[in-house]
Amino acid sequence: MPISRRRFLGTAAAGGLATLAAGCGPRATQPQMPVSYELGKPLPWVNWAGNQFCRPARRLGPASEDAVCDALRRATGVVRAVGAGHSFTALVPTDDTLIATDLMTGLADHDPVSCQAEVFAGTRLHDLGPLLAGVDQALPNMPDIDYIALGGAIATSAHATGPRFGSLSSTVTGLTLATPAGDLVECSALRNPQLFAAARTSLGALGIVTRIRLQNQPSFDLTEVNRVERTADVLEDLEDRLARHRHFELMPILHSDFAVTIATDPAKDGDRDAGQDNPRALNTLRTVFDAVGWIPGSDQIFSWLVDRVAGDQATVRTGPSYLVFPHIREIRFREMEYAVPADAGTACLREILDTVRRRRIPVCFPLEVRRVAADDVWLSMFEGRSATSISVHQFGDLDYQAYFAEIEPIFWKYEGRPHWGKLHTLDAGRLAARYQRHWRDFQEVRAAVDPQGKMLNPYLKTVLGV
Amino acid sequence: MRLLPVLFAVLFLLPPGAARADLTERQEHLLASNCLQCHSREHTGAPLLGVPADWTTRNQQGEDGLLRNVIEGLRGMPPSGYCGACDEADLRALIRRLSGLNGGR
Repeated sequence: MPISRRRFLGTAAAGGLATLAAGCGPRATQPQMPVSYELGKPLPWVNWAGNQFCRPARRLGPASEDAVCDALRRATGVVRAVGAGHSFTALVPTDDTLIATDLMTGLADHDPVSCQAEVFAGTRLHDLGPLLAGVDQALPNMPDIDYIALGGAIATSAHATGPRFGSLSSTVTGLTLATPAGDLVECSALRNPQLFAAARTSLGALGIVTRIRLQNQPSFDLTEVNRVERTADVLEDLEDRLARHRHFELMPILHSDFAVTIATDPAKDGDRDAGQDNPRALNTLRTVFDAVGWIPGSDQIFSWLVDRVAGDQATVRTGPSYLVFPHIREIRFREMEYAVPADAGTACLREILDTVRRRRIPVCFPLEVRRVAADDVWLSMFEGRSATSISVHQFGDLDYQAYFAEIEPIFWKYEGRPHWGKLHTLDAGRLAARYQRHWRDFQEVRAAVDPQGKMLNPYLKTVLGV
Repeated sequence: MRLLPVLFAVLFLLPPGAARADLTERQEHLLASNCLQCHSREHTGAPLLGVPADWTTRNQQGEDGLLRNVIEGLRGMPPSGYCGACDEADLRALIRRLSGLNGGR
């Protein structure tokens, strides 16, 4: 029987479990921010997760494509672009020139016949929904956070869930690129097709994408149903659920027998909101876990708590698609995500769950399991194969490295490709083996567009092997 | 670039008589792209623009204290409020607009 995440978490906290935590010695924490700011000194740049930072000598915010090209022409040293800074990997840091796309936002053009829209790359997804709704269009699918910039999302092949939907990059039908030399180049499947195939997921290695043409669909409403269920039951039924719902994802609660499920479908007449999303629920989960995690046999106790206190009501959210897809994030965390072949997803997930329990890894942050359709974007994690993406997380003030180091080899065993914006330890050689069809193609385009390596910071040199 | 609808929305978020910081057009754009994602959206945990009660305790830190928290990030607040293009003057102006500190100017 489905049980409610909301009621479980609320009841557990109200039941006084939080008071146990102090006596049990919660794990040591570390500062979430890597740098401190001194008044009057140059501003550091820090990513959202707080695990990447730099002190760029020049920090620019061009407001037009001409200004972007001019900035690129004049720049010396390593140039990097930044949108919202939501990547966990070191894609952005440069001590030379950082070009922010904050002022490159809005709708550039739209076509009601093809249902396509051209959008400036700095546009946050948060703003994109209403902008597209204004011309009766909507993204067919959308990540579950909307703070990110469209340009950054495309650069890292950001995605959502649903077996009939590819990553955001797969919906790009054309783009405009400001090259490292400061030239503006338009590309699509028909115009500069090689550059287009590379630039749809480029890690920002080819210059700065300024405009993106998206294949949308007419505006639509969705209803999301969010509940807690037994993980074993969900896994038994996973393929059916993926087929049955427009979108489906699973968030197993580690050290318990339960998972949060999120099923999203076109809204029907009479659908109504029920309950309320609680972005702080993770803190409550952490408090409960810290309270009982030290007790021998704590997994059974933790699961028992879920079973005892969970209710039987789902949380329901309904409305315009761009308001239902995203969720509010208040809790800072670190994340590693791999995309494994779709049919290997369940086995990979079971092995992760088993490893966490067997090795008693002290983590309670739920996993996230999604399904994404195959695409033809050269460096997309979904190139040539549909995939199950599995994410592991740790709270931002706790050490993540030991945990991720235990799990990452499991992803390798299942031929996983790491998400470009999320933490991993693969270098160019091992990445090339995972992108055999187009790794070299991408490298050739990159070398032609940026022969001097102007866009390559140390991290990109490592992952691209330049 | 079609930001006008967003900028109009910003204006309507302010209650009648509320303090208004003198933002440049560029800073208005930065406000709309970054700050208002949370500071005009309920249930994010962020203090809301135009709701002075949300800011009373926070404002006791003064502008410098708020500035440090903004740049470093704090709890749900992302470092520099997601604004990669902001310099210190931008952040100070945006803080005043949002918090109402110094009469919002």
